[in-house]
Amino acid sequence: MSALSTPSKILDSPEHDTPDIMKRLQRIWRSYIFRVVMQGILTILAVITFTFFLIRLMPGNPVEIKMTQLMLSQNLTMDEARAMASTMFNYDPNEPVFQQYLNYMAKLLQGDLGRSIVSETPITTLIAGYLPWTLFSVGMGLLISFVLGVTLGILTAYWRGGILDNVVTAIASVLYGIPDYVIALLLIMIGGVQLKLFPLAEMLGGSTPGIEAGFRLDYILDLLFHAILPVSTYVMATVGGWILTMKSSTLATLGEDYITVARARGLPESRLLTAYVGRNAMLPLITRLAISVGIAVSGSVIIEFLFSYPGLGLNLSRAIGQRDYTVMQGIFLVTTIAVVTSNIFADLMLGWLDPRIRLGKEEGE
Amino acid sequence: MDIQKTPENVVLSLRNVSMSYQARRGRVRAVSNVSFDLHAGETLALIGESGCGKSTLILGLIRQLSKTGVVDAGEVVYRYRDGRDTDILKLSDRQLREFLWRECSMVFQGALNSLNPVLRVSSMVYDTAQAHGMDTKEARDRALSLFEKVRLDPLRVFNAYPHEMSGGMRQRTLLALALLLRPQVVLMDEPTTAVDILTQRSIIEVLKQLRQELNFSVIFISHDLAVAAEIADTIATMYAGEIIEMGPVEEVFYRSRHAYTLGLLEAAPRLSAGSQELNSIPGSPPDLIQPPPGCKFHLRCRFASEECKTIQPTYTPATTISDHIVACHHTDEVLAAR
Repeated sequence: MSALSTPSKILDSPEHDTPDIMKRLQRIWRSYIFRVVMQGILTILAVITFTFFLIRLMPGNPVEIKMTQLMLSQNLTMDEARAMASTMFNYDPNEPVFQQYLNYMAKLLQGDLGRSIVSETPITTLIAGYLPWTLFSVGMGLLISFVLGVTLGILTAYWRGGILDNVVTAIASVLYGIPDYVIALLLIMIGGVQLKLFPLAEMLGGSTPGIEAGFRLDYILDLLFHAILPVSTYVMATVGGWILTMKSSTLATLGEDYITVARARGLPESRLLTAYVGRNAMLPLITRLAISVGIAVSGSVIIEFLFSYPGLGLNLSRAIGQRDYTVMQGIFLVTTIAVVTSNIFADLMLGWLDPRIRLGKEEGE
Repeated sequence: MDIQKTPENVVLSLRNVSMSYQARRGRVRAVSNVSFDLHAGETLALIGESGCGKSTLILGLIRQLSKTGVVDAGEVVYRYRDGRDTDILKLSDRQLREFLWRECSMVFQGALNSLNPVLRVSSMVYDTAQAHGMDTKEARDRALSLFEKVRLDPLRVFNAYPHEMSGGMRQRTLLALALLLRPQVVLMDEPTTAVDILTQRSIIEVLKQLRQELNFSVIFISHDLAVAAEIADTIATMYAGEIIEMGPVEEVFYRSRHAYTLGLLEAAPRLSAGSQELNSIPGSPPDLIQPPPGCKFHLRCRFASEECKTIQPTYTPATTISDHIVACHHTDEVLAAR
């Protein structure tokens, strides 16, 4: 009897039997942010697993190669060499694969990415040294490019057919067609070498050698000075795309009924431009923004190389040249995290900008 | 509803209004020489085929035509509550912005797309209020009471996003939004077309009730003659950009004097008639870049004679007792054919 009566009781009053904490957990479980973040974590796990097995499957197992190298160069016994190699790669080649995987993951969770095969410094230290440069230059380039592109895109669409539209659209189309490394080369060759518009040699690198790092005006100005070339390359390479996409998106939005209605309601042009046209037209660009953050972090290899900018890209190319597998593995991990994080950010932004995307019920009815 | 039709209570008066669109082939004369008076409390229904200029007419008179459309000639005189007259076509952009929605608002055809998808209804209410200097509290109270009048759950709709509402709810929200600033004239472009028959019924009921309570005038576009007959006081038939017949609803529907109005009525299904009595009008509307000479309808008209091909008919009063006017050479034959 009691077994039968319990379910009906639950059916009658589902709220009463659920404790408060459970309800709160349920709400978190259903929330949009939770789902997006969980998805991101799963993606990162999958990529880590994939790179782990990829390294193990590489022809000429890099651990074995390193072991041989160590035995020959430092006169170590095989066991010593194996022990050293396994700390570098973060796993012991003699253990069963699954056990290796678990050990690798456990160390990864503690923030231990192993050591560089070449320089033997911990990978985390290396990455902590390169990453800020890339984040600074790529981030600034993307921000300037996005803001500039969206603003110009919306204005050209708004005054379509005017002088501004013709000029901006023409420039945007040309820029859109040129790859970033060509822009960088043109900057160096024409701006720096032939016309001598700027002191090219002084501008290369991340900062002037000898200047003391710190939160001081001269250092910050020096950083900005050295960032000008890579940042302007990023801006020029991407702004055309933003302008053209935003223009077409704005044109589509301007044709929507709710814009006509808003105009007929006598709304001031400024409100119309931001909340009605701009906000709706920007929605398709947010996803694009996330993708380009990911591409920019890993795709800055050539640009950083050309301007000898000490970021992740320059060091990735160095690591590839030296067959430094562990550093490569670490940089791939960082790139993955960057792509996934920016995707999460894009999802949250989209949810914030577009109520139709919010899935979970965040507010009580 | 009985309305007084005197020269004193005219709220909107159109005189010889012509509008056109610039196309590659030339000017499309979408509206030519339209004149009529709209009185306080009156509901005028514009009927006619797609492309006859109905929507152009009402969008043009509040100057909301798309970029290629212009009002070529005529005047649209609006009378404010204090008796002042103004020509809408001569307002500056700023004056027009202040005029819109406060004096003359509009309910658009596609309820589904008429609300900004990323804003709550409340934001749209506040935007509208702010643009016209109504304070937030008054706007909220007014909106909530209007939502109640259009039979919506006021608070729920006020805080909702458009996608959280059904088509019927959105259409009623738009209706309420149109009345927010107590306009004298509300333009409606097929407000019941995109919704199902039951929702359509409830919107018509709501509209009739609101009109009684709030006393505004309506210009109403409809393809549905039954709906037009039910809510309109006056019917105007448009063909090829011209009003070809206009008069009280019973006059125009029961004693049509223009072959085109008659054709429209014969093409509409009725419960009392068998299906074999449905007749469509042969042919299609004329080219508005190079309209035919004479009566623009003569190519499709079964009453057409030689004079219809050359002489454009002028408006003539159909009867002495009502203000039923018609532009046709064969009014008596049409009346007899009914």
